[in-house]
Amino acid sequence: MRKLLDFLISKVHWFLFALLEAIAFMLVYRNNAYQQSVMFSTANVISANVVSVGGMIGSYLNLREKNRDLVERNGQLEIEVLKLQRQLEIIMADTLTFRAYSNSSTKSFPYDIEIAKVVNNSVSYLSNYITIDKGRLDNIERDMGVISEHGVVGIVSTVAEHFSVIIPILNPKFRLSCKVLGSGYFGSMSWDGKNTQYAKLDELPRHVDFKVGDTIVTSAYSAIFPEGIMMGVVSSFEKQHDDNFYSLKVKLSTDFTNLNMVMVIKNNHKNEQQSVEKDSKGND
Amino acid sequence: MINIIRGTLYFVTLCLIQVLVLNNIHFLRLATPLLYVYFIIKLPVGYSPVQTLFLSFLMGIMIDILSNTPGMHVAACTLVGFIRPKMIRLFKRENLPDNIAPSFSSFSYGSFVRFAITLVAIHHLSLFLIESLALFDILYFSIRFIAGVLTTIILIIIVETFHKTPKRGGD
Repeated sequence: MRKLLDFLISKVHWFLFALLEAIAFMLVYRNNAYQQSVMFSTANVISANVVSVGGMIGSYLNLREKNRDLVERNGQLEIEVLKLQRQLEIIMADTLTFRAYSNSSTKSFPYDIEIAKVVNNSVSYLSNYITIDKGRLDNIERDMGVISEHGVVGIVSTVAEHFSVIIPILNPKFRLSCKVLGSGYFGSMSWDGKNTQYAKLDELPRHVDFKVGDTIVTSAYSAIFPEGIMMGVVSSFEKQHDDNFYSLKVKLSTDFTNLNMVMVIKNNHKNEQQSVEKDSKGND
Repeated sequence: MINIIRGTLYFVTLCLIQVLVLNNIHFLRLATPLLYVYFIIKLPVGYSPVQTLFLSFLMGIMIDILSNTPGMHVAACTLVGFIRPKMIRLFKRENLPDNIAPSFSSFSYGSFVRFAITLVAIHHLSLFLIESLALFDILYFSIRFIAGVLTTIILIIIVETFHKTPKRGGD
């Protein structure tokens, strides 16, 4: 008995090793489930404050570029406003059509945005995450869409009081239904883990007409993003093994290595859309 | 006592450097140096296996929480902490005092570098293997592995070289 005990004590680091590794793998697997815990992520207040120091410094370093981007974007929007104003004038000239127009299609737009600052961002891993400085107190919830001025960024996964963690496109857990602009056919967008500039769009039917350089936008099938948000442009394509679908290589419009400000999209009709979808599934 | 203070300083500085600076570096979009392994390498030789394991675990979990990668760094660090005492026995020639940390002077140049390369390689190998539970591509995996180990080792050698000079002048 004593010998056994001596033996066990002399090998105690083996048991400790097994225990600690077990804890580590438990964390890995729990993280692989979609739901992440707030404690073990940058959403918790202490670590979020540490990493936001880096974010603060980083946002100063990029100010010049950001400024140029904003001016450009501002110009685009101004042109759009002018265009719309002209259209409005034309429609206003004929009151009858204006009435018809305003009744059917200018009903309340169901989306709302909340601007947030990126405080931590990784692109070097296979599973990347982004932390932003808005949380539950700013009415951020799980599964909200996040975009930047260039296009889609990701989906909110963990929410704490003041911070939340986003699953960006650069994460194998991210999947989103997207379509080629101008056609109604959609495929599923995911990342292959290699290059932070490219993602792939699978399951696009073979008869869809498109060419290299076409724009890929979000489809209306998810309740997360509004339809038509820029995703990227087609850079090359190939047939999939089962030969009925195309697999497209898409150059992402968002530069994930240089993210500063993002917009969280709140969809006021999301619960309605999802509950209807759920009901219809229950009826099958 | 001095070892505890030095250890804590190492721990905090390396954590902060890793999270605030190095995590933002992606050399050629491939390699991110993981300098924090230096903490595990520099633990005093005389620490018991249990102490080494526990401190490595602590380092791993700190990095994990701060870079949103639950489990991965912990698993890799714990493995390195477990293997380290065996590696010390392998690379160290004569008996060293317990409170001495591995360095160019306490080990020889060659064996310190080999010691560091072994630990860093084990660390990166386990880290990337765990990471590729989600996606696996052998070519990309090997390129990333080699690039990661190289950048980390170069950084460790640089830090170690700078580390040596003030000691010579000061003591």
